[in-house]
Amino acid sequence: MAVQIKVPAVGESITEVTIANWLKKDGDVVKMDEVIAELESDKATFELTASSAGVLKIVKPQGTTVPIGEVLCEIDPNGAAAPGATAPAPEAKAAAAAPAAKPVAPAAPKSTGAVKEMKVPTVGESITEVTISTWLKKDGDSVKLDEIIAEVESDKATFELPAEANGILRIVAKEKETLPIGGLICRIEVTDGAAPAAQAPTEAPAAATGDKSYAAGHPSPAAAKILDEKGIPANQVAGSGVGGRITRDDAQNAQAQSKPQAPAKAADTKAQAPSGPPVITSGGGRNKRSEKMSSLRKTIAKRLVAVKNETAMLTTFNEVDMKPVMDMRSKYKDQFKEKYGVGLGFMSFFTKAVCQALKDFPAVNAALNGDEIIYHDYCDISIAVSTPRGLVVPVIRNAESLSFNQIEAEVVRLATRGRDGKLSIEEMTGGTFSITNGGVFGSMLSTPIINPPQSAILGMHNIVERAVVKNGEVVVRPIMYVALSYDHRVIDGRESVSFLVRVKELLEDPGRLILGV
Amino acid sequence: MQYNVIVIGSGPGGYVAAIRCAQLGFKTAIVEKYNTLGGTCLNVGCIPSKALLDSSEHFINAKEHFKGHGIDIPEPKLNLGQMIKRKGEVVKANVDGIAFLMKKNKIDVHTGVGSFVDKNTIKVTAADGKETTITTEKVIIATGSKPTPLPFAPFDKKRIISSTEALELKELPKHLIVIGGGVIGMELGSVFARIGSKVTVVEFLDSLIPTMDGTMGKELLKVAKKLGIESHLGHKVTSVENKGEEVIVKAEGKDGKTIELKGDYCLVAIGRRPYTDGLGLDKIGIETVKGQVPVDDHLKTKVDNVYAIGDVVRGAMLAHKAEEEGVYVAETMAGQKPHVHYLLIPGVVYTWPEVASVGYTEEQLKSQGKAYKVGNFPYKALGRARASGDTDGLVKILADKATDEILGVHIIGARAADMIAAGVTAMEFLHRPKMYRECRMRIRRTWKR
Repeated sequence: MAVQIKVPAVGESITEVTIANWLKKDGDVVKMDEVIAELESDKATFELTASSAGVLKIVKPQGTTVPIGEVLCEIDPNGAAAPGATAPAPEAKAAAAAPAAKPVAPAAPKSTGAVKEMKVPTVGESITEVTISTWLKKDGDSVKLDEIIAEVESDKATFELPAEANGILRIVAKEKETLPIGGLICRIEVTDGAAPAAQAPTEAPAAATGDKSYAAGHPSPAAAKILDEKGIPANQVAGSGVGGRITRDDAQNAQAQSKPQAPAKAADTKAQAPSGPPVITSGGGRNKRSEKMSSLRKTIAKRLVAVKNETAMLTTFNEVDMKPVMDMRSKYKDQFKEKYGVGLGFMSFFTKAVCQALKDFPAVNAALNGDEIIYHDYCDISIAVSTPRGLVVPVIRNAESLSFNQIEAEVVRLATRGRDGKLSIEEMTGGTFSITNGGVFGSMLSTPIINPPQSAILGMHNIVERAVVKNGEVVVRPIMYVALSYDHRVIDGRESVSFLVRVKELLEDPGRLILGV
Repeated sequence: MQYNVIVIGSGPGGYVAAIRCAQLGFKTAIVEKYNTLGGTCLNVGCIPSKALLDSSEHFINAKEHFKGHGIDIPEPKLNLGQMIKRKGEVVKANVDGIAFLMKKNKIDVHTGVGSFVDKNTIKVTAADGKETTITTEKVIIATGSKPTPLPFAPFDKKRIISSTEALELKELPKHLIVIGGGVIGMELGSVFARIGSKVTVVEFLDSLIPTMDGTMGKELLKVAKKLGIESHLGHKVTSVENKGEEVIVKAEGKDGKTIELKGDYCLVAIGRRPYTDGLGLDKIGIETVKGQVPVDDHLKTKVDNVYAIGDVVRGAMLAHKAEEEGVYVAETMAGQKPHVHYLLIPGVVYTWPEVASVGYTEEQLKSQGKAYKVGNFPYKALGRARASGDTDGLVKILADKATDEILGVHIIGARAADMIAAGVTAMEFLHRPKMYRECRMRIRRTWKR
């Protein structure tokens, strides 16, 4: 019997994961504990290991978002002996899979090998997308032709979705997911007795190709006329209508493929080329491409907008003369590196300064929770790290009790793990205050967005030599502008401004850090 | 040249072609033999038939069906003169409409018989013998068709009549003998059966409306019987005699037995023949084949600038088929690439209940050896039909066994003519029957069975 591998529970608040990458192909032989896929949640990336040895049968394709507990794939231990016998089932065209169906008999005894893909039908003129409101059948259930398997709602109405074949239901779109018209809802692995697909191998081959209907490439009357006038055969046009039908728009947008066409035509255009008006064909491409938002990106988007909408956020600015810190750093950095094995950067100074200031202004370190304000007597500082997957914010725990070298070491560790996509959820939750450094990308000034449920965030920027007046004299000093965005519901202006001034004072006179004054 | 296009014949094919030509910027003229435009369809065909069909349907409803609905009225009396007069008014309004459309589209109307002098010159001979000659770059022949007479009994237009005379009868026939159980015979036969004539239909083949799906013929036979129409199928008419006040029709059955029918009128409705008399096709070297003008796939004759459309060419003799072809030719001449999808031209018989069909018949699918499946749904089982009292008939859908593609839709029943449009659309866009959420209830129910 095949072993089902389900989405593991990866963290408290995580309800779904996206399959970022299948490292093994369908039908591959996998070993126990071998990493077979990479999963992505809105917080972190994980590796999925095989819980048994055998032949892999992928249930959920790459890119799908799957709730915790759903079956991701199956491993058939019996198949391990004869790996070649297992056909790549989901993609199998009926004709190819039919002979292969017998060797896999234990998994699907009556399967015909054909897979019916069910897509969102066109339900009304102005409706472009629908939401799966309820699945009446579960993944893996056997369904009958015309049996109602799901309820689907559009912004206008709710309708029932009947099964388009007899067979085993494989749900692709989960409940509450919104799909465009034509989007894949589910697959039905057709079993015996299903009239349309069962006969597919002997009947029209068009019916057997899974993803397109028999009507694919059929032009509407208006489209047919336009295509004829353009001299484009219908089979060169990809139909965007229901079931791949060619619509009037498809026909209007269709471009003749001149190369495979009659050579006489090519000669014609060549002859005309020098005399005719110059037609710009090369140069700037105007391609658009659309990619599905990753879970991480979606979460970022959702939360950032929520912060803007749900908090009373504003930003206060100040400038820091970095000369004292820079002097101290250049003076001791070699010694520091030698002793602790990490470089002495600005992060440790800022973290220390922030921890000191947070102690003086506890509201800045607080969080709003309903009607209560939660004050933290410790400083867990979230540090924004840019990674190829997007922004992540690992946390330096109890930063107030760490020494400079411990902070530096922690920053390096977290940043490295972040870049490798290895950060755990625990490492990213529970910060009480955030620091973000846009300066590494050259930012002069910015207004960072609060990382909820925190109440404030400090923005660091680049250090630029500026002319400043000290004791009545214009001098050149390395200056950094700093910004503090804060939630005015929790923090008063006096506190936020004083906090930032305090950070400034501590950095401009690092001796204060030692004394705590 | 005076014109870009001259259209000969102003029936549905001709006048539509002329309008489309004018719309596309051609300077256009139309030549019509009769004083009114519109051809057979508007003057002596579809439109007057439908006018009488509707009138007679009202009559039979008042006479037989009102009572059951709880409407008591005195026994209605037929006023055939008024019925014919009303029909005349309907026709007049329509043909006047065509005249207006010609004016509106700046199409010159030349009244008289059009005939070729050469491929660019048309001579128009008016009723008073006056001849005018007009020149053109292109010609569309749209001269239509005429009722076919029996070879041994030509129309005497008194007792042995064609559909044209049947629409103008001054008295109600006591016994109308209809030769030919096709569309025209059944439509006109049912008109007179409803308003009180005894009607007997003699059909050579074994089914009524034999060109349509067999099931339709069978059902229509039942319906006709209810209306009191007597049908003799598989009978070959051997003689028709006009005895002055009486017509005697003799027909031989398959078993060799001869029947003799006596009536006061005999309607010969055995078909129509393409009409090219006096057109002078020989002047441009075109020879007809079985009366038809031979054309290629683009409706062009062998003469480069001469096209032909409608009843005068191959295909079904239907007004809307001619109209499609008229538009097709006009657009082709303008360099466009239009389409006519002949399979999807629906056909309707305006009996009551109506018969309507589109696509292949079951007989055609069988002879093609195609794998198909059939869905039937009787009107009797439909609540809506019961409510209106229209329980006769059924919907029949033929679909590809493998793909479910609809191959034919055949409906006999109330408002079949309206519903067939849904079938045409479905087939044009290759819909599956079950994709039809919005489709007429009956069609969908048929599928669900």
